[in-house]
Amino acid sequence: MLSKVRNPFIISEGRLGRALVVFMALGFLALVAAGAGAGWASRQNEAHTAAVAHTYQVELAISNARRLIEQGEASRRGYLLTANPDYRDAYHRWSAATPAALARIADLTRDNPDQVAALKLLQREVSALLAQRARTIGLIDSGHADTATTLFRTEASVRRLTTIRDTFERMAVTERRLLAQRDAAQQASVRAFYIILGVAAVLLALVALASLLTIIGYTRDLSRSRDRLRDFNERLEETVHERTSDLSRANEEIQRFAYIVSHDLRSPLVNVMGFTAELAAATTPLAELVDRAEAEAPQIVSDEARLAVREDLPEAIGFIRTSTQKMDRLINAILKLSREGRRVITPEPIDPAAIADTVAGSIRHLLDDRGISFSVRRPMPSLVTDRVAIEQILSNLIENATKYLEPGRPGVITVSGEAKRDRVLLSVTDNGRGIDPRDHQRIFDLFRRSGRQDQPGEGIGLAHVRALAYRLGGTIDVDSEPGRGSTFRLNLPKTYVSQDSAA
Amino acid sequence: MNAHQSVGIVMIEDDEGHARLIEKNIRRAGILNDIRHFTDGTQALHHLFEAEDGPAKNGPALILLDLNLPDMSGTDILQRIKAEGSPLKRTPVVVLTTTDDKIEIQRCYDLGCNVYITKPVNYESFAQAIRQLGLFLSVIQVPAFEGH
Repeated sequence: MLSKVRNPFIISEGRLGRALVVFMALGFLALVAAGAGAGWASRQNEAHTAAVAHTYQVELAISNARRLIEQGEASRRGYLLTANPDYRDAYHRWSAATPAALARIADLTRDNPDQVAALKLLQREVSALLAQRARTIGLIDSGHADTATTLFRTEASVRRLTTIRDTFERMAVTERRLLAQRDAAQQASVRAFYIILGVAAVLLALVALASLLTIIGYTRDLSRSRDRLRDFNERLEETVHERTSDLSRANEEIQRFAYIVSHDLRSPLVNVMGFTAELAAATTPLAELVDRAEAEAPQIVSDEARLAVREDLPEAIGFIRTSTQKMDRLINAILKLSREGRRVITPEPIDPAAIADTVAGSIRHLLDDRGISFSVRRPMPSLVTDRVAIEQILSNLIENATKYLEPGRPGVITVSGEAKRDRVLLSVTDNGRGIDPRDHQRIFDLFRRSGRQDQPGEGIGLAHVRALAYRLGGTIDVDSEPGRGSTFRLNLPKTYVSQDSAA
Repeated sequence: MNAHQSVGIVMIEDDEGHARLIEKNIRRAGILNDIRHFTDGTQALHHLFEAEDGPAKNGPALILLDLNLPDMSGTDILQRIKAEGSPLKRTPVVVLTTTDDKIEIQRCYDLGCNVYITKPVNYESFAQAIRQLGLFLSVIQVPAFEGH
């Protein structure tokens, strides 16, 4: 039945933990993916920005070179027409800057083979153009303006210039196309980033939902299990109560049995003792008769008769007497125990320290005679229980401690106590001769004793103590080492609770 | 005890040995009255109330009663003797038993027992107690017979 009841209380915390860990991991994964996506997108963006800047730089460089060439051409024509040296100076400025401008384009477009090829063509055309122009300027400078004009008419500079313009235009168009491509790539990466972000968000939402559902399910299981536990607890209390009253009934039965048995044993014992006394009384006249017969007619007295009257009869009677006396004591002990079990327990607040002092006071002469130092360690927790029972327990334990001393060692007996939650532990410690570990349980049994039998007693005290301890809802045990001493520990409820079946 | 009125002693005691020891010790105290011994309640009641030579129909008596009897409790007999309208209502009853239970003792006195004695287990004390009971019996007054 227990195995059936046990399972409902196991809520698979392991399963819940695992599920939550998986969800958390998924959530983190989604976050990491979103982060990585953001990082990638911003890198893409940076690259794109750099590319756009590059394109504009290239366009700027192209238009700059173009401007220089156009202006160079305009200056040459001006000089040719007017021979004004201002035009020549301007021309020299423009053509000096042209190679650098072309080099700048080459520098910027080195990674693009189309542009490189176009540039190569451009450079060829430009250098030819520059050479042609230089010749025109040289002719004018040397005063052959007519030759220069004639040359200008025949030269193919216009066609060349057109080629150069077209090439520049082509290069610019290429750059714009590149920019458009880059823009498209940028758009795609932004789209990818938003997709990653969306997927991560959906994943997070799903994880959160699943976690929530799991936790709600777990909480529901938990409360259901708690309800079941409460039911079970109530049932358990009932069961415990039933068992306790069963036990109490059994205990009462045993007590009653012990009482009746010991009581009924007394009757025959009275007879045995009574008739033994009668027998003893009857031997006196018999002995006298034998004495007189021996004095008056010795021949009629046989040795057997003399022995019987003077030795066998008194010896037999003596043995019967001691045995019956012992039996009487044992029966009285059982009676006392059973009577103790029937005694009504009256709980009241008591101070064990004060009771220990009272007990010690009642055997003060004994303690002094044997040179025993007795002390009660304070503070001691108080408890609510039966005063008489505690008195009897402490009295038995302390008296035992005074009886079983280690020869040649002054006795030290200490009574101490401590509270542990709803229990109180009372200890009686001595430095006496100790108890063999084999006897630690046995000494609490009725009529059982341990060690040298050099002290009077029937082996009742500790049995009585244990019966009392049980009666008070407590336990007693002993911790002892032969030759070192013993500690008897009484474990009692702080407040006595009736265990009788009647209660 | 007023011997000339021949007060009979009725001893209701299931243990033969006890009965014998009681009788011996009563005799030792100098009591010579007739002692009738019964080992069970039924016979004892018959003698007390029915028998021609029993106390109800013939002369005063003194009853020694043990409580532990095989067929009934001694208190039942005590109740019958001391009951309202019983011819033996005034007959002295000495409960002589092994029980020393407080409640039982109270109950016996409530029922009208005159003396309650617990049998000492120790024989010397027992013998002494019975002898003292004998001395006591020798001085107490028993109401005269009221029967026809």
